[in-house]
Amino acid sequence: MQISGSNELVEQILKNDLCVACGACVGLCPYFKVYRGKVAMTFPCDLTQGRCYAYCPKTEVDYDNLSQTFYGKPYQGSALGEYRRIAASRAGDKMISGPFQNGGTVSALMTLALKTGMIDAAVLTDSDGLIPVPRLITKEEEVVQCASAKYVASPTLSCVNKGVEEGYDRIGVVGTPCQMTAVAQMKCNLLDKADFKDPIAFTVGLFCTWALDFRTFVDFLSDRLDLSTICSMDIPPPPAEVLIVKTADKDIEIPLSDIRPLVLKGCSVCPDMTAEWADVSVGAYEGKPGWNTLIIRSEKGEVMVDEAVKEGFLIVDELPALNLAHLIQGADGKKRRARENIEKAAAGNDSERNKQPAVTENWKMSSFQ
Amino acid sequence: MTRIADDHKGTSHLLMGNEAIARGALEAGVSVAAGYPGTPSSEIISTLAKVPKEHNLYVEWSTNEKVAMEVAAAASFAGLRSMCVLKQNGVNVAADFLLHLSGSGTRGGIIIVPCDDPGALSSINEGESRHFARLLEIPLLEPGNFQEAKDMTKWAFELSEEIRNLVMVRSVTRLSHASGNVIFGELPKEAPRAFFKHDGFILDPMEGIVVSVPVSYRHGQQHEKLKKSIEIFETSPFNIYTGPDNPELLIITASVCDLYTREAVHILGLQDRVGVLKLGTTWPLPPKLMEKVMGRTDKILIIEEVIPFLEENVKILASELAPKIGIKTFFGKRDGSLPMAGELNPDLIISVLVKIFSMRYESMPSSYAEKAETYALKAAPARDLTFCPGCPHRASFWSIHNVLKMDNQEGFVCGDIGCYSLATLPTGFMSLKTMHSMGSGTGVASGFGKLDQFGMEQPILSVCGDSTFFHSVMPALVNAVHHKSNITVVVLDNSGTAMTGFQPHPGLKVDARGNEAPNIDIQAVCEAIGAKVKTSDPFDFDGTQKALFDLLEDKEGVKVLILKQICALSPEKKEKKMFEMSVNIEECLGQSCGCNRLCTRIFRCPGLVWDKDNQTARIDEAICTGCGVCANICPSGAIKKEEVA
Repeated sequence: MQISGSNELVEQILKNDLCVACGACVGLCPYFKVYRGKVAMTFPCDLTQGRCYAYCPKTEVDYDNLSQTFYGKPYQGSALGEYRRIAASRAGDKMISGPFQNGGTVSALMTLALKTGMIDAAVLTDSDGLIPVPRLITKEEEVVQCASAKYVASPTLSCVNKGVEEGYDRIGVVGTPCQMTAVAQMKCNLLDKADFKDPIAFTVGLFCTWALDFRTFVDFLSDRLDLSTICSMDIPPPPAEVLIVKTADKDIEIPLSDIRPLVLKGCSVCPDMTAEWADVSVGAYEGKPGWNTLIIRSEKGEVMVDEAVKEGFLIVDELPALNLAHLIQGADGKKRRARENIEKAAAGNDSERNKQPAVTENWKMSSFQ
Repeated sequence: MTRIADDHKGTSHLLMGNEAIARGALEAGVSVAAGYPGTPSSEIISTLAKVPKEHNLYVEWSTNEKVAMEVAAAASFAGLRSMCVLKQNGVNVAADFLLHLSGSGTRGGIIIVPCDDPGALSSINEGESRHFARLLEIPLLEPGNFQEAKDMTKWAFELSEEIRNLVMVRSVTRLSHASGNVIFGELPKEAPRAFFKHDGFILDPMEGIVVSVPVSYRHGQQHEKLKKSIEIFETSPFNIYTGPDNPELLIITASVCDLYTREAVHILGLQDRVGVLKLGTTWPLPPKLMEKVMGRTDKILIIEEVIPFLEENVKILASELAPKIGIKTFFGKRDGSLPMAGELNPDLIISVLVKIFSMRYESMPSSYAEKAETYALKAAPARDLTFCPGCPHRASFWSIHNVLKMDNQEGFVCGDIGCYSLATLPTGFMSLKTMHSMGSGTGVASGFGKLDQFGMEQPILSVCGDSTFFHSVMPALVNAVHHKSNITVVVLDNSGTAMTGFQPHPGLKVDARGNEAPNIDIQAVCEAIGAKVKTSDPFDFDGTQKALFDLLEDKEGVKVLILKQICALSPEKKEKKMFEMSVNIEECLGQSCGCNRLCTRIFRCPGLVWDKDNQTARIDEAICTGCGVCANICPSGAIKKEEVA
């Protein structure tokens, strides 16, 4: 795997619109900045190798290396990635109540991790109206403030870099699959630095099929309603096919077919629905509001979940086989679409987009087949 | 220092060309002088502005060159002697009025003094004023040395009164800014009175109305006056032939090229083979003199800078005179002997003469020349054109650049003439993407701002200086507001016409002579025009960038951001540090900082240097102005500022 510098990152990813604004490169140096959901490089840097390039989930990702590092074996390319077990879960009685997007599993785990000192800071995503706001928090009670789905790309990982800068060395991170991929690479010392220390202690991945481009989504919504009245948003499980925007006095349903053109181009080539590189991954529970689907991947994740159950922060139940089948189907579908989009882009016949994501040779198709 | 307005008749003084011109005007009894600052012309007005009050001069830095010409014209109409001073581009600004003025004729002696800049040493083009003399059909005088600069200026007023029209006295950088000995003449004693006669016979040039109509009548009169000037030029002492009676080659030249020519001829020892006709009156050419001199030889070389103005006029005469003087072989710009662009110098002229005379000449041994060139490239440190240490423009463009990059919609800045023109270069983070004449940044932006109907979505900014704002931005701003053009105008207000030497402008409380003057408030003007206005200190990055982001997000109409901070070189600020700056070398991470030397690679204030021995940044205390700005750019916070008590 070739690790290049910021110029290559700009040429290969930013200029090709493949950036998903995960925030991994923001704050590493004075040049990568984010404004209104878009990452920009303000000045060129002539270093030939950079963490910016190494961490980016959209440059070539060496899945075999990640899998060897975290699971001691080559990458298999299965629908859900490596995991120990899959369960249904929700926040337990010890956890202060939401409102949560679903079962509150993420908030429960992060609250406990802070409480036990397993992590010394948590990187989460708060929101200011529609704008996702990355947060670096250290107090348990701040966790719940960040509980809600944003659906728009958030440069949350910029707060990991901020946390490292401020001296935190056991950081917990909640993020989307692309962000978990970036975090996994942050943990790997890809640049072989002698004084490298893994600053990340615990990660919770969120299921994700796509994220919206903040700017075009804001323009889209401004044409339909007063943005300041929005309380929350939700995409109910299939077959609803709508985004529900809840305002103070009514719910507005927007067909997903209207929303899909606003999806980030970088998402169309993402093969990961369930955040395969997190300690645990959390998503909705199809057909059972108030519950989550929980994938326990690493040993650390399993210890954490067991502790949470013991301490009354989490309630865990079995996930029915049909739900698991649907989950696998969904995750497989995302991998398939990503593969097709990459093939289309590579063949240069992407008719859906006027500007196709120019996938570089760095993209190893085999990596996630 | 010579006191320019002292009598001193017959004494010799070392004067800059521009001072010699000012002295010439004083000896002519000039009453009114107006101009707009522009290198290399500025010292003429500033010299006159310092003339003691008992001389009863009126001197002003006008809002722009057209207004300056109009102010000078009024004095002429009232019977006074007056002058308008500007750089070559300024003639373009004044051109509309000039064409009317040459048509209406004038009364008191009036001259226009454009100072051209061959080689564009202080300009962004090599524009010429000489062809304006032909266009306006007025006499053109070109002094060839410092004494002539004074003497011809004085004579130009007399000529103007003789023909009752404007006369152009043209200088160039190497005359205006070099110095030489000048013998003073007498200063006039009488104090002229101003009165405008306007109720005489309508066609009376001295008592009727001053207009250019009826056009064919007045235009005809103007040509009679031109004929009169040709007569005068035939015997002018400023047209001098030196050399043998029948030279092998005749050189016709004017202005400072005469000095280069004489040096070249001298170095090559060609005094006995080459004749030189130095012309002081270059348009219209005196045909009898030209016939006499051109008749001496078959080969003619015309030496002048930039456009072949003299060459073409000589060739027209030569073809008319061909039956009398025969067919000539010409050398000059049109046959490629001399370049069409850039300044001339003695070496260039030597190389032309060597070719014509098939001579061998080496100014230095070629091995030496080669070595000198190699060492010059290797040993001379590379120096950027750069904003001064502590320049507010660097801070302004830092914010503009960062905001446009972060906004990430490929926004750009349209600019024009001022120190801030340097923002086309790395010192201004290459922010300027168009740069044209005074005020054009906002005019061009106004046009870009209407291209949304053709799918253009890029944010559009313009920048202008405070003096430029009054000079020519206001009409463009009115245009943009009236047409709802979606643009953001950034006024880089550094409280003076900084680039040309802090001449005052209408935004300041002082005029050219140092008198108290009512100032016009830029913010109030912009608001009255209908723009949304914010003001910020460019040294405050956070405030400036927030203001700029806010204005960019507002997609309706014209926004103005005034960035106010006095120029670092201004008399008020010079040698006064706000902060004592230092780099904490423990905190500067040097090469291991992720910033890759942001301070000295990107921000590049000359006051910040890279210390190779320590591998850290360092403050160059000799040139640091203590503005404190760089303390805000270091990602490690290693640059410290301490307020100076």
